[in-house]
Formats: sequence, structure tokens, C-alpha cells
Amino acid sequence: MELVQNFPFFSIILALFSGPLCSILDRGAARRVNTAVILIIGVMSLMVLHFTISTGASYVYQMGHFPAPWGNEIRVGQLEACMASFFCVVMLLCMLSGRRELEREVQTTKQNLYYAMIGLLLSSLLALIYTNDLFTAYVFVEINTISACGLIMIRQNGRTLEAAMRYMIMSLLGSGLLLMGICFLYDLTGHLLMSNIKESVGELAASGMYHVPLLITICLISVGIAIKSALFPFHAWLPDAYGYSTLSSSAILSSLVSKGYIFLLIKIFYRVIGFDVIRESKVINVLFVFGIMGMILGSVFAIQENHIRRMIAYSSVAQIGYIYMGFGLGTTAGMIAALYHILSHAATKSLLFVAASGLTDVSDDRTDFLGLTGAGYRNILAGMAFTVGSLSMVGTPAFAGFISKLLFAQAAYETTHKLVLALVALAVSTVLNAVYFMKTVIRLYTPGWRAGLEVSGTRIRIKDQPLKSAMLVCFVILNLFLGLCSEPVVRLLAEGLERFA
Amino acid sequence: MILLPIFLPVAVGVLLLLPVGQEVLGDAGKAALRALHAVVGVVLLITAVAALTVAWTGPDSLTWFELMRGIPVYFHIDDVSRLFVTVISLIWVLVGVYSFVYMEHEGKERRFFGFYLIVYGVLVALSFSGNLITLYLFYELMTLTSMPLVLHNGSHEAIMAALKYLFYSMCGAYLGLFGIFFLYRCCDTLTFIPGGVLNEAMAAENQTILMIAVFGMLIGFGAKAGMFPLHAWLPTAHPVAPSPASAVMSGIIAKAGVLALIRVVYYIAGPAFIRGTWIQTAWMTLALLTVFMGSMLAFREPVFKKRLAYSTVSQVSYVLFGLSVLSETAMEGALLHVVFHAIIKSALFLTAGVFIFQTDRTRVEELRGIGKKMPCTLWCYTFASLALIGIPPASGFISKWYLAQGAMEGGVGVFGWAGPAVLLLSALLTAGYLLPVVTDGFFPKDTAVVTALPDRGDPPLMMLIPLAILAALTLLLGIFANPLIRFVSGIASSVL
Amino acid sequence: MNAIGLAVAVLLPVAGGILIPLLPFHSRKSRLVYIECVVLATSALTFCLLLHRPEEGVVIFEFTSNLTLSLKLDGLGTVFAGIIAALWPFATLYAFEYMKHEEHEVIFFLFYTVTFGVTLGIALAEDLVTMYCFYEILTLVTLPLVMHTLTREAVLASRTYLYYSLGGAAFAFIGVIFILIYGTTADFVPGGVLNLQKIGEHTNLLLLIYVFCFFGFSVKAAMFPFSGWLPKAGVAPTPVTALLHAVAVVKAGAFTLMRVTYYSFGPQFLQRTWAQTVVMIPVIFTIVYGCSRAVKETHLKRRLAWSTVSNLSYILFGVVLMSPAGLMGGLCHMIFHAVMKICAFFCAGAVIYRSGREYIYQLDGLGRRMPKVFAAFTISGMALMGVPGLCGFISKWNLVRAAIESRNLLGYLGVAALMVSALLTAIYMLTISVRAFFPPKDPNYTEEELGLAPVVSAEAENRVSGTGYRIIPYEEICDPNWMMLLPLAVFVTAMLIFGLHPQPVLDGLSALTAVIR
Repeated sequence: MELVQNFPFFSIILALFSGPLCSILDRGAARRVNTAVILIIGVMSLMVLHFTISTGASYVYQMGHFPAPWGNEIRVGQLEACMASFFCVVMLLCMLSGRRELEREVQTTKQNLYYAMIGLLLSSLLALIYTNDLFTAYVFVEINTISACGLIMIRQNGRTLEAAMRYMIMSLLGSGLLLMGICFLYDLTGHLLMSNIKESVGELAASGMYHVPLLITICLISVGIAIKSALFPFHAWLPDAYGYSTLSSSAILSSLVSKGYIFLLIKIFYRVIGFDVIRESKVINVLFVFGIMGMILGSVFAIQENHIRRMIAYSSVAQIGYIYMGFGLGTTAGMIAALYHILSHAATKSLLFVAASGLTDVSDDRTDFLGLTGAGYRNILAGMAFTVGSLSMVGTPAFAGFISKLLFAQAAYETTHKLVLALVALAVSTVLNAVYFMKTVIRLYTPGWRAGLEVSGTRIRIKDQPLKSAMLVCFVILNLFLGLCSEPVVRLLAEGLERFA
Repeated sequence: MILLPIFLPVAVGVLLLLPVGQEVLGDAGKAALRALHAVVGVVLLITAVAALTVAWTGPDSLTWFELMRGIPVYFHIDDVSRLFVTVISLIWVLVGVYSFVYMEHEGKERRFFGFYLIVYGVLVALSFSGNLITLYLFYELMTLTSMPLVLHNGSHEAIMAALKYLFYSMCGAYLGLFGIFFLYRCCDTLTFIPGGVLNEAMAAENQTILMIAVFGMLIGFGAKAGMFPLHAWLPTAHPVAPSPASAVMSGIIAKAGVLALIRVVYYIAGPAFIRGTWIQTAWMTLALLTVFMGSMLAFREPVFKKRLAYSTVSQVSYVLFGLSVLSETAMEGALLHVVFHAIIKSALFLTAGVFIFQTDRTRVEELRGIGKKMPCTLWCYTFASLALIGIPPASGFISKWYLAQGAMEGGVGVFGWAGPAVLLLSALLTAGYLLPVVTDGFFPKDTAVVTALPDRGDPPLMMLIPLAILAALTLLLGIFANPLIRFVSGIASSVL
Repeated sequence: MNAIGLAVAVLLPVAGGILIPLLPFHSRKSRLVYIECVVLATSALTFCLLLHRPEEGVVIFEFTSNLTLSLKLDGLGTVFAGIIAALWPFATLYAFEYMKHEEHEVIFFLFYTVTFGVTLGIALAEDLVTMYCFYEILTLVTLPLVMHTLTREAVLASRTYLYYSLGGAAFAFIGVIFILIYGTTADFVPGGVLNLQKIGEHTNLLLLIYVFCFFGFSVKAAMFPFSGWLPKAGVAPTPVTALLHAVAVVKAGAFTLMRVTYYSFGPQFLQRTWAQTVVMIPVIFTIVYGCSRAVKETHLKRRLAWSTVSNLSYILFGVVLMSPAGLMGGLCHMIFHAVMKICAFFCAGAVIYRSGREYIYQLDGLGRRMPKVFAAFTISGMALMGVPGLCGFISKWNLVRAAIESRNLLGYLGVAALMVSALLTAIYMLTISVRAFFPPKDPNYTEEELGLAPVVSAEAENRVSGTGYRIIPYEEICDPNWMMLLPLAVFVTAMLIFGLHPQPVLDGLSALTAVIR
């Protein structure tokens, strides 16, 4: 066994232990440790990615060399490694770009705690990505929930506390359903390790035994994770949680946390229950319908919103709808599209949050649209970054969103009865996206004096906020990379998915 | 050579419209005005001579250039062209002379004569047209260039009337164009050939749509000829236009619609295609309706020029009725009526112009006793009126005779007696609306009205002579009608 | 001529435009000279390419292996590229003079020049994806031009424009993907690329996709019910409304529809299906609808914009006849309408520029003061009406001929619609000319009511009309200088030449469309 094969395990542990470490260090040190840890894990994940690509197969890592069913396993392949590296990159960018807000909005004494939470969150995300054990997954889901609550709550104003409570309640409901599902599975198969469960489920499905319990299991798990990842109509917690927490939290929550759950769902679909069984169960049709409703209604809510960050948050509801629609198509191509959208949405949404904060900075912290009038002239870089993000969301060629839209549409053509619905939903949702994002962009570039408004705010030049500006540039580059050089990424995802099951 | 009478007036007209040399040639001063009259007069004469020479002795045809492949702008002179170009030239020159004096009253002579010359050129081209596209080309140009004649005085009503004229004509032209498109599809060529050029196989295939298209053309080109339902522009446009313009509009431009209809019916679609179909019935009905309606409206119209305009509506539909019967005699009548009506109606409008020029009176009841002041003018009017009513031996009688006879021989069922009946009734109405002017003019019941009239007698000779010539022609052509009848019967027998 | 030239032609104005704010210019004049040079160079290059057509294509960029941005010049592209390259230098020249009274000139010319490249990109696109990409980019680069004045109206108009365009593109996208999957290739092939075996029994579904795609692209071509953006976008400076909203952008919409219909889906597949009926009805309706709205409109530029709506549907009418003759008619009208409408718009712009008057009722008697401009306007109006001898008649003739040959009842209805539209065109164009040349002697309204009373005080001196143009007293109005008159003269000449001797153009077009079966 090569050293690099240990890295996934190392990274989970490293992230996990960085949490407590940060809580005892002083503020500056904690910050540096946190950054370093994310960086190291990112590098390790990239090395793992390189390794898995070069071997062309996924491998199983047994903790402490205990074989199943007693031991705990990690399974690593291209897809996992890819996701892990990408999550690290996005997280790093989000952390760095939100540093100024963090220091301003969070009590000094609580900042260590924040870094600790980030460590835990990262570790739980990595664990969700890598684990091959259903119960381990559940445990880390809970860790994830708690740390995410912490991230929301850390900025202590009334809205965030309420939002955190809501998030907590909804999430725990989701976790409960997930746990019930896992229990059912355990009951039906007697296993917790994913590969074992899959064998048993395959046999059950073939024999036709326990048809109803199996269906219920699938439903429980799907609904549980859907609640946690804010699929319409379980999105009620989302806008406040994303809209009022501190910048890094919003960016990370929207781009990573929900995606971690979604990745878990994919894993359960492919590796625990088997995609064929899922497809036959018709549950995906339900996901498809709700995905489409989310796509449309999320955007409709966003259009009605007058608070820029809440608007972006609602847009997340729509984007998550896209992902579930991809699932719902029930084809491999649909799944690849969904996976790609996880990436592109993560990159774009965090970009938008960061850019939006840059814009509110120059508008006396006003978040309503009138206040943002002309903000694009006062903070040029943020304005441009927001434009890029918006264009990507609308699906303009050359940006990441275009490729996901393309992949979704291509996937839709492989089905017959869902074809028209999916395509029309894509088109309508694009229109709606255009309505609220481009409205904002136009508002940003309407000078206040022309609109007859008193808008105040100081200009911010690039050199005033070097870190945030650099991060914005990085986000834009990431977005363009996904938009322009998508082919290797898509191939990677496709191959990874093939070896995933 | 064919192009000379077309281009000379158009070129001179366009030059007059350009804003250069206003001081030398224009309405700025007495000398400039005289120069303008000289130039216009010379051009009119040269054009008329050239047009007539070309028409009666010159080359028969000329392909000027190809608009699109297979669609040349092509001139061809046949007997119909000769007939029309002669009438046009005659009236254009006479009215032109008349307007030298008359237009002093209206002002802006340079613009008026500019357009007057252009329209002349266009009309010559229209009558020389050898195929349908060329005809359409000049037909539209005629509409566009004659519109400024209507709005000449620039008042709000004049502009509105001009626009009304324009839009009615355009509506008609586009109905015509609609038909041309379908005919182009169903004909071997669009060149005018007596008896029609319809490709029978194609026509049979597209029977219904082709019929609709041809009927559309009848209505469309009928707009210029004042046929119901697109007649309403005439009574609006004529009262506001300067009298010479009204004269040529009624006398000539309305006949351009007739020319277009002759070409379409007798030279493209062919009488055989129309005979006995619902198109013929509908056309005859519309024509008779217009004859009657025009007369009725004229009868109860108090404004003199408007009354004459309604009379035109009625009289031109005599021609259309004659054409619609599709028999030789009726067509002869129609062609004769084209000539006679052009002369008569021009004379009538010129009389109205004289009244306006001398007294500014426009309503019929204001003209009582006018014969005491200007006897020559009113005599001219009397001759023309008698001719229009159709009292032998004046010219109108002959054409009406042929029309009635043609209708009865035509084998068109109920129209065989309904037509002549309506024509007779309309003649009575004509007498009813034209003659009171004469009787009241010469014999006012109350001599006070005579003294109330401005103390001005017959107009200057420049105005009176053209009027007199026209009035004389109304009589002379009726008496010495044989050459003309022979000529039109040649045309009629060639197409039927 | 090397195929690289294609890429250069597209990228030169893009790069040249972006450089405008970056280069240090000493004076306005040197900047303008630079801009005109860039535009002229691009046009010259384009014409070289048109004359020596390179056989191969060139790949600019590769998204994925089956998704490339590639350029190639074929017959249809030649027509569109030719129109654009011919008109752009004139429009730029005109803009130099016009933009004197507007602000942020640099930004304006940046996007104006970039748009040139993007539009050429649409014309030269080798495949559907490339065309789609340029189509989307076109929306985005023209957006700043629409909202250029940054007034409330302009911002609202640009928003509407954006929503309509992006929404349309979203639906068009469905069709693009369809061709990617069900076509033998995404390249443009005359007669279509559909893989009929792959389609199998789903014909109806695929026709539905075509309908989506058609409606999607028709947004740019301002077909009813998606025509609302075009008149609103009339708030943009006149060079924009003239060139983009009468030619480049809207014709790009029509052009993409030609590509999709004749080079991707294929007329064979669509002919005499319900899809053809479904797309024909709104097209025919728009022909009349646009005109009637134009008649109702009292704002000069908006009236012309409605006229554009109607005329674009003439082109689309040719397209939906689904026959080579129809395409030829459509292309013919595309060329001729470009000339006629840009001329009309330039006249309107000159009027606004020289007099500050924007509403038709304010134009009384201006023909006396600006005879050249109004003469050009009248001629373009007559051309739009289809007076024989001017170019509008020729294209109408060809369109109608195709319609009649199609032997389709809706085709006949379309012919009738064309005639009605011609009449309405006469109404809305000639009333303006009549007003300008023959003002009523006794207008029943006073100068004050028009906002045209002579300037008396310093305060009134600065008074501006609705959209910020200063009203100029009647006596001071005159024809503009040569930079504005030259384009007008050229366009009028072109209308006459095309109207009297169109055969070379028609031959070229029929050779081009003959390859489509």
C-alpha cells in the first residue's frame, strides 16, 4: 500500500483534530492553523486524485485492517477524490474572502470557535465523501449539522439565532428520517457496510421479497436528505440561514454543506441500494417533479425578494432543484449533469455571495436593491464578479452554468416521457434566472444620480481589500475554467461515476 | 423615341421641384412667373406633340430594361394606348393653359406645375405600358405624384383629403398587386395580348383563388375609377383641389383606373375567364349601384365641385358597366364614354374653376344669376351639361346609346334590361343636378342676387379659350363621331 | 484567402473595441479616426473573404471535443456578413456626428465596435453551437448600448430587452441541443442534418422541439408575441436603433432562424407539418400587427421600430414557407430592408439631432428646413411601401412568388397580409412626409402646446424634451453635415440600384438557395 492511499483517512482525522486545536489556540494562530489545514488537505486530496486517475480504479481502505463486517471502511475513487479536492478549494476561497467580515461581525472570543467549527465541518464533509459505512455516514451527518448550526449562529443577532433554530429543527427531522431509513436497511439486510448492503438488496429485489419495506426505506432516506439539502418544499430554513449569517458561512453553507448531503444521496443510490432498484422504485420520479418545482418556484421566490443575499439564497433552492431534476432523469448522463452542477453551482454561488458582500460594503451596508444602485461603479471588481456569476447562473456560454445546462439538456434527450417537461423547465427557469440576476446587474450599473436616488457609499478599490479581491479573481477563474475547459472535468466525473458503484 | 414624351416632362418637373433658381423661374416675381409659364407651356407642347407622334407614327414597342428576369419594363403602343394618350394630351395641354391664369389665384405655381408635368409624363407612360408590371409601376407613381396636386392649397382639409385619396388609391393598388401576383403565376406572360394570356391548365387548377384575385383587382383598380366601395375619396378630394387639378383628376386620372381595368380584363385575364361567372355579376351590380348612387348623391349635394365629383363617380361607372357586359357594342360604348366624359367633365370643372376664380362662390345656390355676369362661361357649361345628360346630338348621347344597346344584346340576363333602366334613371338625375345651375344662372327668380354677385365678367381669354374648345368638342364629337366609332369598334372587335 | 482571416475578422473589432478605453488618445478626433480605421479594416477584410471564399473553416476555441467555436463562410453567411460589413462603416461615421450630444462616448464606441465582431461571428459561424454562443453574447454586448443614456426609461427598456432575449435563447437552446443529439453533425448543411433513423417514431415530439426553437430565436426577430422589446429599445441613441435594432440584432434573429430551418432541421422534414402551420400563423399576424401599431404610434423612432417588427416578419414569412424560393425571398428582403430601414432611422436620427423633435406632430414643416433628410426619408418610405422601381418591391415580389408557389392556404393569407401591411406602411410613412413637406396653413394647435415656442429666457434655453434632447427653434434647424448626409446618399442610391437592377443580387441568392432541397 502506498502512502498516498492513506491520505483520505489522514485528511479526515487532520480536519477533525484541527477543530479542538483551534479552540485552544489564540485567534491569529487558529486562523493560520485553519488555513494551513485546509490547504494541506486540499493538496493531499489532489494527490489522491492524481493517484486514483493513474491507477484507474478505486480502492478500499480498511481502518486498522479490520475486515468487514467489523471494521470501518473508506472507499476512494476518482469521483470522491475530485469532490474532496474541489470542496477544499472552495472552502479555502470562502474562508479567505470572508475573513474581514468574520473579524468584524463575530465577537473576538468566538472566532476560535468558528475555526473549530470549520474544521469539524470539513472533516464531516470529507467523511461523507469517503466513507463506505452507512452508520459512519450518519454520525458525520450529525456532526455536519451541528457544525453548520454553529456557523449560522456565530454571528449573534436575532435573525441568525432564529435561522439556526429553524435549521436545527429541519435538519434533525431530516437526520431522523435518514436514521430510520438506515435502521430499516439494517433490519432488512443485517449490514451497515455499503458493499454488503448492496449485495443483499440486490438479492431482495431480485426475489421480490420485502418490496414495500424497501420502498419505504428508499423514501425515508431520500426525503431525509432532501430536507437537509433544502429541496423544495423543504427549503423554508434556507433563506434566513444563508441570508443573515456571516459571509464565509453563507458561502460555505450554500456551496458545500448541502452538496455534501447530495453526494451522500448519490452514494446511497449507487453504492447502497443500486441505481437499477432506485430507478424501478419510481422514487426518482417524485424527485424529478419536486426538482422541477424547485427550479421554477425557487426562482419565483427569488424574483420577489428585495434583499440581495436572500435572493441569492433563494436562487440556491432553484439550483438544488436542477440537481434533483438530474437525478430524476434516471440516467447516467443525468447523474453526471447533476454532479457537474454540484461543482459549477458551488463555484458560482460562493462567488455570488462574496461579490454581493463586496457590493453591500460600498453601499453603506444596504442590501436592498435601491441601496445597491450604481454599486458596480463603486466597487468595480465586485461588480464584474457579480456579473460573471449572474451570467453563469443564466447559462451564458463560456461560463460554468452553460455547461451544466448543456449537460442537463443532453441528458434529457435520452429520456422520452420526461423530455419535454425537463426541457421546458430548463428554459423557463433560465428565463426566471435572467429576470432576477440581470435585473440586479442592471441595477448595479445604473448610476444613482440618473435614477434620481440619493445613494451614498464609499468607493473601494482593489488595493483596499487585496485578499477579497484576489479571492474574487480566483472564483472568476474557477468559474471560467469550469465553463471553458469542462471536457476533462466531465470525463473525470463520468469515469469516476462508472467506478463509483 | 417612346421615352421622350415620358422623360421630358418628368425631368423638367423634377427640376422645377428642386429648390434652385427660384428667382429666375418660379413664383417669386412677375418675370420669373412669366418664364415659368413659358417653360411649362413649351414642355407641354413638345410633350404632347412627341406623344402623339410616337403614338400614331412611331415604333410600336420598346423594352426599356429588365426589372427582374422575365419581367421587363416594356412599352407597347396599341389602339387603346393611342386612344388614351390622345385624350390625355388634349386635355392636359388645354387645362395647362387654363391653369396659367387660374393658379395665380392659388399661388405656389412652381410646385404645382412641377407635379403637373411629372404626372403628365407618368400618364403617357401608363398608357404606353405593354405589360402589367409596367402598368402597375406607373400606376403607383401616378398616385404618388398626383397627390400633391390635391393638397396644393395646404389647408388642413386639403391635406386630409390628399391623404384620403392616397390611401384609397394605395388600397386599390395593393388589391391590384395582389391579383398581379396570382396572375403572374397563372399566365404565360404578363404582356398585354388582346383576348388574354391566361394559361388554361394553371387557371383551372387555381380556379377559386384566381377568381378572388381578379375580383380583387376589379375592386382595386376600380378605386381610381371611383367605383363603389372605394369611391369615397373622390367627393373629398375634388372640392379642395385647385380646379384644374380637379379637372384632370376627374377627366383623366379616374380614367387611368379604367385603363388598368381594360388591360386586366381584356388583355390579361381575358373576357372568357370572366364571362358568366360570379365575378361578372358582382362587377355589374357594383357598377350599376355606383351609377345610381353617384347620381343620387350628386342630386342632393349643394357644393358645386362636390356635386361634379359625385357626378364623376356615377359617370365613370357607366364606363365600368360597359366594360363589365363583355360584349362588343357595350365596350364600344364604354370607350366612347371614356373620351366624352373626359372632355365633358374637364369642361365642367373648369367652369367651376372660373366661378371660383372670379367670384369665390362654391355652393350651387350662390351661383344664381351667374349667367348674367359671365354668359360665355355658362354657355360652355350648358353645352357640356347637355352632353353629359345625353341629349342628342351631343356626344354623351352616342356613348350612352351604345352602352344601353350593348347591355341589351349582351346576354347578361336580368342586367339586359336593368342596366339600361338604371342608365336612363341616372340620366334623368344628371339632368336634375346639372341643369338647375343653367336655369338659375340665366334666369334668376330674383334679380337681387345678380347685383349681389361680384362685378366681374367672363374670365381672361387664357382661361376662356380652353374651356370653349372643350365645350365645342363635346358637341362636335357628337356630331362627327363616325371616325371615332370606327376606331373603338376596331379595338372592341380585337379583344372580343 | 486563408481561413484564419475569418477568425481575424471576428476578433479584430472585438479587440479593437476593447482597446478604445485603454489606448491614450490625445483628442476626440484621433480616437474617432482609430475607431473608423478598425471598422474599415474589418469591413475590408470581410469583403476580401467574401470575394475569395476560403474553403475550410477555422476553429477558434474548443469547449469539448464535440462543442467547438468554429467559423466557416458559406453562401448564407456571405449575405449576412456582406450586409453588416457594408453598413457598419457608414453607421460608425454617422455615430461620430450623432454622439456629439450624448455622454460616455468611449464606452459607447467600445461596445459598438465589439458588437460588429460578434455579429460577424453569427454570420460566419460554422455550426449551431457557435452561432448560439455568439447569439447570446450579442445580447450581452448590445445591452450597454440600449441602456446607454441611463435614464429610467433606458434601464427599463434594457431590462425588457434582456429578459426577452435571454428567455428566447433559453428556448432556442432546446433546439440546439436537439440538433447536437439527433443530427448527423452540428455543422450547417443545406437541407438539414437530421438523422431520420434516430428520430424514428418521435416525429411529433421533434416538431414540438422545432416550434420551441423557432419561437425562441424569433424573439430577436421581434415576432409577436415577443415584439414588445423592440419599440421600447428605441430609447437607445439612434446609431444603435438604426444599425442594431433595424439590422444587426434583429436580422441576426432572422438569420438564425434561416440557419435552423434550412440548414439544421431541414425544410423537407418540416414542410406541410403542423409545425409549419403553428409558426406561420404568428408570423402572418405579426406582419399586420407591427404595421397597425406603427400607425398608432406617435413617437418617430418607435414608429419605425414597429415598422421593423412588421418587416422582420416579412423575412420570417419567407423562412417559414420552407422552400428554397421562400428562403430567397426572405434573404432578399433581409438585404433590402436593411438598407431601407437604416436609411429611415438615420433620417429620424438626423431630425432628432438637428431639431430635438421626436414626436411626429412636432415635425410640421421640417421638410422645408431639412429638405435632403426628408427627401431621403420619403424615398425610404416609398421603398418600404413597395413602390416599383425601389428595392422594397423586388423583395416583396419574390416573397409573394414563393408564397404563391407554395400552394398553401396560409401562404395566400400571407400574401394578403403583405398587401394590407403595404397599405398600412403607406399610411404611417407618408403621413410623416406629407406633414414635413406640406405643413397645414392653419394648424389647430399653438407652438406652446408642442413645446416648441421660441426660446425667450435663459431658463428656457436649457429646456429639454422628454428624453433629454434640446428643442431647437424652427429657424435654426438645417440639414446636418456630410458625416450624416453621406450615409443617407449612399443608402438612397442603393435603394434605387437594387430597385431598378436587382438581377445580380437575385441571381446570387437563387444560386445560393438552389442547393437546398
